[in-house]
Amino acid sequence: MNLAVAEFRRAKGRFVSITGALSLIVFLVLILGALGDGLFFGGTGAVRSSTAQAYAFSADAEGSLIRSSLPLAAESELEAVDGVEQATAIGALITTTSSVPGGEDLVVMGFLPEDDPAGVPGTILEGRLPGPQDPSGVAVDKALADAGLGMGTTLAVGGVSQEVVGVVDDAGYQGLPTAWTSLATYADMRAAVRPEFAGQPVQPSVFGLALAEGVSADQVVPPAGIVVASNEETYLSIPGTREQKSSLDAIIYASLAVAGLVVALFFALVVLEKRELFAALKALGASTTRLGSGVVLQAIGATVTAVIVGATAAWLMGQVLPSDIPFLFRPETLLFSAVLTVTAGVVGALLSLRRISRIDPATALGGTL
Amino acid sequence: MTTEATPQIATEGNQASPILTVDAVTKTYGEGHTAVTAVHEASMQVSKGEFVSLLGPSGSGKTTLISMIGGLLTPTSGRVQVGDVAVSDLESKQLTSFRAERVGFVFQASNLVPFLTARENLIWVASLRKDHGRTARKAAGRRADELLEELGLTQRAGNVPEQLSGGERQRVAIGRALMNDPDLVLVDEPTASLDTEMGRQVVQLLRREIKDRGKTGIMVTHDLRMVEYTDRVFEITDGLLEPGGDPAEHAAGGHATKH
Repeated sequence: MNLAVAEFRRAKGRFVSITGALSLIVFLVLILGALGDGLFFGGTGAVRSSTAQAYAFSADAEGSLIRSSLPLAAESELEAVDGVEQATAIGALITTTSSVPGGEDLVVMGFLPEDDPAGVPGTILEGRLPGPQDPSGVAVDKALADAGLGMGTTLAVGGVSQEVVGVVDDAGYQGLPTAWTSLATYADMRAAVRPEFAGQPVQPSVFGLALAEGVSADQVVPPAGIVVASNEETYLSIPGTREQKSSLDAIIYASLAVAGLVVALFFALVVLEKRELFAALKALGASTTRLGSGVVLQAIGATVTAVIVGATAAWLMGQVLPSDIPFLFRPETLLFSAVLTVTAGVVGALLSLRRISRIDPATALGGTL
Repeated sequence: MTTEATPQIATEGNQASPILTVDAVTKTYGEGHTAVTAVHEASMQVSKGEFVSLLGPSGSGKTTLISMIGGLLTPTSGRVQVGDVAVSDLESKQLTSFRAERVGFVFQASNLVPFLTARENLIWVASLRKDHGRTARKAAGRRADELLEELGLTQRAGNVPEQLSGGERQRVAIGRALMNDPDLVLVDEPTASLDTEMGRQVVQLLRREIKDRGKTGIMVTHDLRMVEYTDRVFEITDGLLEPGGDPAEHAAGGHATKH
């Protein structure tokens, strides 16, 4: 018979407060985690899930696709570099489309339609991307399709219209949905919304790079005036991404530390309250290890219950939040938070072991407690 | 565990071979000029089947003495032997096993586990033994039922302590003390929180169980009316232990010692 389990089953009231408090912390951690994931995945997909292993930027771009500008001629220079198999010109333009009622901000991504382009979305849900045989049309991010720009509809930017011929997934950039079209159409749209570019030659922002097998971005020696960053470095350099992630991570870790302290405080009080009983049980022959493992088991029980309750509440919250709030409930984040919560609980409970070890069984006699 | 030859110590009224030998045991707390001797060179022998009482005013050293006998405290000097075990030589872990398997305790306030039923309180103690396999668990269940029946608690077996009266709780505590078939039962003021009649019933029951099972019992008490149920009396005053005379005389209030 396990005392810890029996107490957990029979004296539920004792654990309601701790489980309730931990559930709220887990709920907070998971909501923050889901918002963080929503922001991160919504803002980086265009790079993170793309077919490029690395990107070439102009030297002053600081990792931003929007700020970068390279001549089209750089393509041949990049493809001549050791380790680079293909370089695909990509233009990026933040603009607004009037094709959705009320307008919708988006990033138009223009790329040179060619075989196996580097830097285009890796997941095509429906239709196709503009290709070498048929460079017309636009493939839109799922978020735009959900907003009404489905297959066969028309996307218009600054008077330049293209039929939607494909829907892609996980392709957001800087928190905005993207639309993928040919570099020529991109240039037309850019000239339409920013007249200062009218009549100028097509100029891509960056090049998506496909690298030879076994070659990493830091091994590529780019031509003068060009910098090369890995896919990961590129999406982590998207303005705000690193800062958002580190801020939310700091809040999450602080919350988990609070969870550990709550458990430590709770079990410290429990041990204090049970001093007399523990002294008697030790006098009867129960070891500190046995009593301590019971406390740890109860901490695990309380934190696991809290994870279940908190996760259910967070998931339900996600179901009722407006769709424009970037909320992504990922199993990986849930598992990570659950493991950390239980670990924090166990560590908190372990702190009470010293108190248990210091209870003198001799105090059970003589009514000295 | 250490096996040692048991020396003969002359002790009033002790004829059979002793199960408990306390030989010149001293317990001193502190050091130097702050040292306090709670028990000074106490010696006693108690035989198998004997139920003795230990009397003494508050602070006289009786709790310290039974704590040393029960393996809860280690003597500063002297020797405590229970059966073949030299208790005073045991390490901390060995003492824990010794208490679980060789000693039964009945505390002043019962100290039952509040969220276990009467039957579970007994069975849990059996789980402290090293040999706690499936067969032992089944045997523990049977023994718990048997003890509860003897103690008149069969109908209360499924009740948790807060659903039991003070007397019933002490009866459960007696069952718990006997659960692991100990050599020695140490009883600390069992009637302290009971009325006279209930206290009398509990001590009578305790005596019956100890005698019927051939155990050895030591009862610390302030209540002279309960002494008549014991075979012998030891008195301790200012840490000095001595035979305390006839139990009937104490019970009748005729003994000179004041408690």
